[in-house]
Amino acid sequence: MSQDSLVVKGLSRQFGTVHALKEFDINIPKGELVALLGPSGCGKTTALRIIAGLEKSDTGSVMLNGKVITSDAAHKRNMGMVFQAYSLFPHLNVAENVSFGLQMRKVSKDNQKKRVDTILELVGLNSHHKRFAHQLSGGQQQRVALARALVTEPEVLLLDEPLSALDAQVRTNLREEIRRLQLSLGTTTLFVTHDQEEAMTISDRVGVMNSGSLEQIDTPDVLYNNPATNFVASFVGVMNKISSQLSDGHIEVFGKRLKAVKGEKSSGTVYALIRPEAINVKTNTSNPNAKVLTRSFLGASSNIVSQLSDGTIVQSLMTSSGSGELHPGSTVELEVTTSEVLVTHD
Amino acid sequence: MKHSTTNNVDVKGALANKGAFHGFFSPSPLPLLPLSLFFLIFFLWPIGALTGNAFKSNEGAFTFSNITMLFQDPYRLAFKNSITLGLISGFVGALPGLAIAMAIEKQGSQTLKKFIASISGVLANTGGVPLAFMFLAAFGPAGLVISALKSVGIDLYGLGFTLFSFTGLVIVYAYFQIPIMVIVVTPALSSLRKEWKDSAANLGASKFQYWKKVGLPILMPSFFACYLLLFASAFSAFATARALTVGNIALVPLQIGSLVDGNVTINQANLGYALAFGMIVISLIAMIPYIWIQNRTAKWQTR
Amino acid sequence: MDSESHRKMADTMRKNSASNLVLIIAGMFLFFPLYAAAEFSLRNGADKTHGFAAYRWIFDQSGFAENIGITFRVTLLAVVLNLLIMVPTVTWLHLSGQRYKRLVEILTILPLIIPVVALATGAQLAMPEFMQNSVYELSFFYVVVAMPYTYRALDIGLAAHPLATLTNAARSLGASWLKTFTTVVAPTIRPSILAALFLMVALSLGEFTLAQLLHWSTFPVWVTNVSQQNIVGATALAIGSLFFAWVLLFSFTFIGKKNSTIVTEEG
Repeated sequence: MSQDSLVVKGLSRQFGTVHALKEFDINIPKGELVALLGPSGCGKTTALRIIAGLEKSDTGSVMLNGKVITSDAAHKRNMGMVFQAYSLFPHLNVAENVSFGLQMRKVSKDNQKKRVDTILELVGLNSHHKRFAHQLSGGQQQRVALARALVTEPEVLLLDEPLSALDAQVRTNLREEIRRLQLSLGTTTLFVTHDQEEAMTISDRVGVMNSGSLEQIDTPDVLYNNPATNFVASFVGVMNKISSQLSDGHIEVFGKRLKAVKGEKSSGTVYALIRPEAINVKTNTSNPNAKVLTRSFLGASSNIVSQLSDGTIVQSLMTSSGSGELHPGSTVELEVTTSEVLVTHD
Repeated sequence: MKHSTTNNVDVKGALANKGAFHGFFSPSPLPLLPLSLFFLIFFLWPIGALTGNAFKSNEGAFTFSNITMLFQDPYRLAFKNSITLGLISGFVGALPGLAIAMAIEKQGSQTLKKFIASISGVLANTGGVPLAFMFLAAFGPAGLVISALKSVGIDLYGLGFTLFSFTGLVIVYAYFQIPIMVIVVTPALSSLRKEWKDSAANLGASKFQYWKKVGLPILMPSFFACYLLLFASAFSAFATARALTVGNIALVPLQIGSLVDGNVTINQANLGYALAFGMIVISLIAMIPYIWIQNRTAKWQTR
Repeated sequence: MDSESHRKMADTMRKNSASNLVLIIAGMFLFFPLYAAAEFSLRNGADKTHGFAAYRWIFDQSGFAENIGITFRVTLLAVVLNLLIMVPTVTWLHLSGQRYKRLVEILTILPLIIPVVALATGAQLAMPEFMQNSVYELSFFYVVVAMPYTYRALDIGLAAHPLATLTNAARSLGASWLKTFTTVVAPTIRPSILAALFLMVALSLGEFTLAQLLHWSTFPVWVTNVSQQNIVGATALAIGSLFFAWVLLFSFTFIGKKNSTIVTEEG
């Protein structure tokens, strides 16, 4: 077993009647970037804050490098944290903000200067030492916050939706930078976000949370192709739900017999979970089974939204060159390209 | 993140700049006329008139003699007393007020905050005779607190304390100064973002270190501004001073009051205006920094 | 209760003990004069019994109705003046893209700088005869003195709504200016107007300095003079009006205050 940097067992937190967090477990090996992904209120931030020591959990334990830190105060935990916004101290300039943690650790003035210079260089702000927070753009502020959190060489880096308040373009650039930094420094990182594209593109593993529970934690590939629950299936990527009859472990979709995964033991009406890229659109056909509603041009591919006779909306991905003649109202034949499909009952 | 004021919402486009009147009116300042006229007549004119008269001799010629009179007793003493009263009462109100505001912020309950807000609002406006009589009932010669202390052997009045003194004034003023402080410092306190506290803790600062390096430095300008407000409030207070003192303490508002009541000596016709002018100058010295600081800190206080 | 919960409770109590102490001491300082005055006001005279006799005293004084009436009418005029002058101006400011906002802000903060005593002397000097012969001159000055507070109340209240955007939307949907004002603008700004007017009323009801120095008998001035004759009654009045004002303000905080910012915490 690889060295686990952060081991969290059985965390739970209740606010009155609201279960913000239920039996939360997570093991993060050293140097890994794990994302906690989920909608508002799913408990991801609560979990993060408990790990940071900013909140107390009702049950459970937090261990860092084998040492139990559950009851340690926040300022003794040697973790770095970046918040969504507004975390820079307004009365200190960039250099003073970044050196704050070093100051608390009684690092010598010379060393402080060296390390501050190095980290600011690393985040691309080496000429901004004397600026103040209100003179920086949102992206720059977050980079300073990142520098401030990393300069103390923390055991764990915690990020609480650090990109959510930024413009789309800045978001995309900054998340790549965060990943690059994290990889070059080898810092164990826990990244909370509600944006699944963010989580999927830069993480080693992603944990999907819903209503206080961690539903599945796996690599992005596995999460996408083998969602463990209905929620994960529909939260990560786009998922079509097409109803069909299940019998003898198989269902029929668009005239093709498919093996039902996870539905072997039951029968009756089920929904087949099929990704858009697993549905082929045939334009010249004598056997139409769907009507095109819209076609969205995405570059190399296009997203075709069509409607079945029973009203079900199906999304399919096809090459733009092949879909040129499709327009709202065209009739097409949809077919499934895989031979196995996930099914669910609701 | 919720943007709660239009000032923070970045509405782009020419339409926003021209407001709702785009194409209908040019944004001429005409609608400002009523307010400006009102302000001119009922504010600028009286102030201008009294300033002019402050420098007029009895015959109407320009003179500094009224002003130089201010530097002589009893007026010099009055200014000294009023300014001292302002400085001391400022602290007596500012420090407890800050402590209370911080305690309320800590407690966090909404009902408590509403309760305190309404009580402070009422107490901040108490003054004059009602306030004086309340304190009389507690701290007057036959007051409840005095009698209670007497019964355990402490005779405050015998020791020289009296409500009708400078000290008494400071104590009574505290009753409305502290609520004023709570009201004006609370916005500054709540502008201390949670993220700063959390960041500081995360970076290794203990509670004490947070306050020393982050909390207090950020609060300092606002605290100072609030102190200035309290100074001006105590310096200019009239009703309460009049109710509590019987002419035994020289204070500028009281002297003006007495001159207005007709106790003028012949060659001092314009002295009252000089006194008023002096009050304005001192008030300006306190209030202009107050306004300037509040403006600056308001920038990072908007949520 | 297990040890974990014990630990948590002890933690919470320790954390709050300092702030609790502060509040308790503050409460005591606040409470004592009130209690003493209340006890004093409830006395029935030389005997040690207590009753509400003193609270009826002020109502029995000749001049009560007259002076209440004067203050009432002065307050009414002040409120009307505020409505006519402050409300349209601030509304226009917000609708017209706030070009003159800086100027108005500076203008309305100036009365805060000038001590009321000084303003009173200037008023006596500058105001023409006909104004100085009417008690209603007070209303005008009350509006000026209240300006820093009423302007801020209106400004903050209006800023919480994107008024320019709302009126543009209404207009683009076909509403006339009148319709826009009555159906969109007026309901939106009503809470702010009420808040500003409330401030005006509160100031006017308790204002002593200007009235006294300009030699007018308003309710606060009259009460001050009459108080010399009956200390118990005067104390009763002080307590009574304090209590009344507080009840009014307390209930107001539950009705009007939807403008207060609430911090949303992500779960």
